[in-house]
Amino acid sequence: MILTPEVLTIIIVNIIFIIFTLIAFIISIKISFQWNRDATTQLQYTLEKQSFLTATIIKYIFIIKIPLFLFFIFTLDKISFILPGAMCGAGVVDATAYGSPLFILKILNLYIFSYWLFLHNEDIKYENQPYTKLKFTLFNIASLLFITELIVEIMMFNAIDTTKIVDCCGTIYSSSATFYISDFFHIGNPILLAIFYSNFLFMISFYLLKKASLFAISNILFIITSIITLIVFFGTYIYEQPFHHCPFCFLQSDYYYIGYFLYTMLFIGTIFGIATGFIPSSNEIKERRYKISLTFNSFYLLSVSLYPILFYILNRVWL
Amino acid sequence: MIELKNIFKIYETNSIEKVTALKDINLSFNEGELIVLKGASGSGKSTILSLIASLSKPTTGEVIVDKKKISKLPDNFASIYRRDNIGFIFQKYNLITTLTVQENILLPLIPLNLNISLAQKKLERVMKMFQIEHKKDSLVKNLSGGEQQRVAIARANVNNPKIIIADEPTANLDKKLSLSFIEIIKKLKSENKTIIIATHDPLFFNLDIVDREITISDGTAIL
Repeated sequence: MILTPEVLTIIIVNIIFIIFTLIAFIISIKISFQWNRDATTQLQYTLEKQSFLTATIIKYIFIIKIPLFLFFIFTLDKISFILPGAMCGAGVVDATAYGSPLFILKILNLYIFSYWLFLHNEDIKYENQPYTKLKFTLFNIASLLFITELIVEIMMFNAIDTTKIVDCCGTIYSSSATFYISDFFHIGNPILLAIFYSNFLFMISFYLLKKASLFAISNILFIITSIITLIVFFGTYIYEQPFHHCPFCFLQSDYYYIGYFLYTMLFIGTIFGIATGFIPSSNEIKERRYKISLTFNSFYLLSVSLYPILFYILNRVWL
Repeated sequence: MIELKNIFKIYETNSIEKVTALKDINLSFNEGELIVLKGASGSGKSTILSLIASLSKPTTGEVIVDKKKISKLPDNFASIYRRDNIGFIFQKYNLITTLTVQENILLPLIPLNLNISLAQKKLERVMKMFQIEHKKDSLVKNLSGGEQQRVAIARANVNNPKIIIADEPTANLDKKLSLSFIEIIKKLKSENKTIIIATHDPLFFNLDIVDREITISDGTAIL
């Protein structure tokens, strides 16, 4: 098992969180099945007391888990230096069969944990706590995903063989690779960019029309189209190399850690955007979420768009 | 106005030992009433007060104030309810002795974020009402027992609450000061406040200003 200080930190923090999550899970199951807001029984009063404490514990676990995702990416990048062949985190993800599922699971959890926090925030605003049952039911699912994440994470770090040569990102993210992303290289940049920008225009239209559900859906599509276009098109302008498509290398110091900025913008923008459609809230809060989402998504879009534009202005040629 | 329905309160000191403080309490208090809860120490009087003030929750049953089920309020809302509706006079006053009189009285106003002139107006009103203006800059630790109690009463009233709760208010006072406390209570009653006093001081029994006396014995109410 690979045990760098970063890996140890991630595993220890997650194990501590899992212990608290398991305790919370037991109470959460009781709340999911036995919660009756109108009851004045001993059981209900006990659940009300426990729900307050449990929700507070969950809140702090999830608040820490969100930035911990960035630390996980940083760790992958750090490990790549000791894996022969790996140039960045992409090589580490590809080094074992667990890497890609873990990465997808972590992104999924990032969104689920964020929605739990949104729901909790809404719930505690009202005297009758209308979302308590829903909140704890969501936590039940989230805790199972979190436990799965930890297991897969330990399996991944355990399976990494530092003597085995792994693929570098240039091999993984290329049009000839067998990786699923390679199919997108054949679609063509104009079509991908048209989808990416028109999706953003739809997002603005849905905001103006106040169609929250459609706005949320356009945000889901924005995550997908953003990552695809980042790998296929925009990444090459960040690297200023036509065949370098890696979504990890720009997290390194050579590129001024710009990847952290881009991913943070994208995640904040889409998390708030999806919450607008799926998390119940007052019109005032909804309006605030719309604006936060659009602001961060616009920052992302402008940031990635600036790279090819500046490249063209300076070089009078497209890659 | 205030209703206690089928209230049981059980304190669990550990998993084996349980103390039943209240047994099937059903009481109601009307607006503007002055009620004396009497009974021996440990009979459950203070527990009733803490339930009405939403300082604790019943084991079963419900507490309703102005049609609002306050026993069902989450902690953050219970704090707001207390801040807006309850003035609590404690047996040992619970003042911060290192602060001055006016600082102690102003404490309940801090979470309200009132502007200074309004806070000052409220402060002056209660200091005048309870005759402690001349001591406003004195540290509480330098005051006599009677003066400390007047500060505690002023603090309980600074936010002009509808309900005044007093737990053994004269336990630490001599007869003269206890009588002056009764005068203060008369003044508060004239403002149509609902006043609930838990006491075993005989001075409060058969007082003309008291609307009802309720005896609490071994966790049950004897009406």
